[in-house]
Amino acid sequence: MSDPLYTEIIIDEAKYPQNKGTLEHPDISQHDANPMCGDSITLQINVKDNSINDIKWDGKGCTICTACTSVLTQLIKGKDIDHAKNIRKETILSELGLEHLIQQSPIRIKCALLSLKVLKLGLYSYLANKLENKNFDNLKEEAASLY
Amino acid sequence: MQTSISVEQIRKDFPILARTVRDNKPLVYLDNASTTQKPNQVIDAINDYYKNHNANIHRAVYALAEEATEAYEATRDKIAKFLNIKNREEIIFVRGTTEAINLVAYSWGRANVKEGDIIVTTEYEHHSNIVPWQLLTQEKKARLEYIGINDDGELIIDQLDRYLSTGKVKLVTFSLMSNVLGTISEVKEIISKCKAATVPVLIDGAQAVPHMKVDIQNLDCDFFAFSAHKMLGPTGVGVLWVRKSVLETMNPFHGGGDMIREVHKYETTWNDLPYKFEAGTPNIADVVGFGAAIDYLEKIGMQTVREHEIDLTKYALDKMSKVKGITIYGTKDIAKRGGVISFNFHDVHPHDVAHIIDREGVAIRSGHHCAQVLMERLNVAATNRASFYVYNTKEDVDSLVKSLEKVAELFKL
Repeated sequence: MSDPLYTEIIIDEAKYPQNKGTLEHPDISQHDANPMCGDSITLQINVKDNSINDIKWDGKGCTICTACTSVLTQLIKGKDIDHAKNIRKETILSELGLEHLIQQSPIRIKCALLSLKVLKLGLYSYLANKLENKNFDNLKEEAASLY
Repeated sequence: MQTSISVEQIRKDFPILARTVRDNKPLVYLDNASTTQKPNQVIDAINDYYKNHNANIHRAVYALAEEATEAYEATRDKIAKFLNIKNREEIIFVRGTTEAINLVAYSWGRANVKEGDIIVTTEYEHHSNIVPWQLLTQEKKARLEYIGINDDGELIIDQLDRYLSTGKVKLVTFSLMSNVLGTISEVKEIISKCKAATVPVLIDGAQAVPHMKVDIQNLDCDFFAFSAHKMLGPTGVGVLWVRKSVLETMNPFHGGGDMIREVHKYETTWNDLPYKFEAGTPNIADVVGFGAAIDYLEKIGMQTVREHEIDLTKYALDKMSKVKGITIYGTKDIAKRGGVISFNFHDVHPHDVAHIIDREGVAIRSGHHCAQVLMERLNVAATNRASFYVYNTKEDVDSLVKSLEKVAELFKL
């Protein structure tokens, strides 16, 4: 049986999510929740030589949220921070064939993009703190206007 | 007295129940704990008000204004009769239960709660009966304490004794029926303990008033709140009832028109009760619609409503508990619960369950149901919740159970 949203790739990704867990001494640790449903994600990152050396996530989320978080962490692990900073929502959604959510499901898009919001907020805190300037306000704005 | 509902007949009064959703699936509406559908009688009353009687109330002397005032005040009288309230001036119209509780926290709470005092609530409260008390206790450096629940989802009332024995409790507040577990609180026991300690009691009646006979004089509480939209009425209307002797001591919540007697440059005197607490132009049309909803429920009879839901809940608990992989929360004792069933299905997240069965036309709620403290206690992120009302049938329950097969199929369970 095929389903437009619950495809095998999404169900499998959520069943066996990658990078789940916690880091002992994370350089970035960011948490956020979806007020509508109570789903919550914590993202932890170790930074080395300006790149995402390690990334783990923990939390409670639905299939869509879990699959997207898993994919996001795989997309940025080992990449430099600039790359992670500029990752687009369309990139994550297209990995799972979920582009249609933007138009069709204003409610479920929040499930899909919660982890991206957490990433942007985490990077903002890290960069603004480390470089002691506010040139990264656009990251905060991006996080706020994702959905 | 009528002993069973003609659901067929009732359903004809609700135009929305005749529509289809998604791919032409008949609507199976099972989210009544969230909000209920409206019968033609309520919709028509609102229409009629705007078409024929619209004017502001309590002010002008012309015919329309008199008619509007009369229609608005008639609902107050209907509520008094419906809930056996002694004094109509104890009934204050607000936007809903949330505003009612905030009114008490702001107006009564600020004047009566001080540093070191305790407010007692419960683990199965809606956020609307937690957050206003957090705001108040944080502001006053007072404490918020919780009556816990046992594994059957019932309040552990003995815990109340411990708090009451401190002599510092200023208010005990709890819902008459849990919006997640459907548990009906042991109200008599709680109130008699509070009376013995001369501690006032607030009851959140949002889930109970729509589904069972409630007698406020008999309950003997001090504050009581409920909403119209959960009992066939419109959104944006609710009621706060306060015992007159308490209400007379309270300061206004909002200042403005209609709540005053005389306004001078630097001082104002207040209008009589209940108008002192109804500042500004109220939601007149929807109060009138609420009156029609009460008429509708009175016609069926609240005992009949309760019996219908007991019957349906019994059927649903029996049928659902046979589904492989289902976990149902709350007591199995049908006398202690209303028509609200929270459940989880295997380890599928409730959002996924609700999304998939929505395609079959089945509308249930998924999430934390504005009760995150309870979710923590149950150790779940969220649940699915099916909740019934007068127009629901056993076929609706069958559709819900059948729709879960689709979930099992997709998730290969």
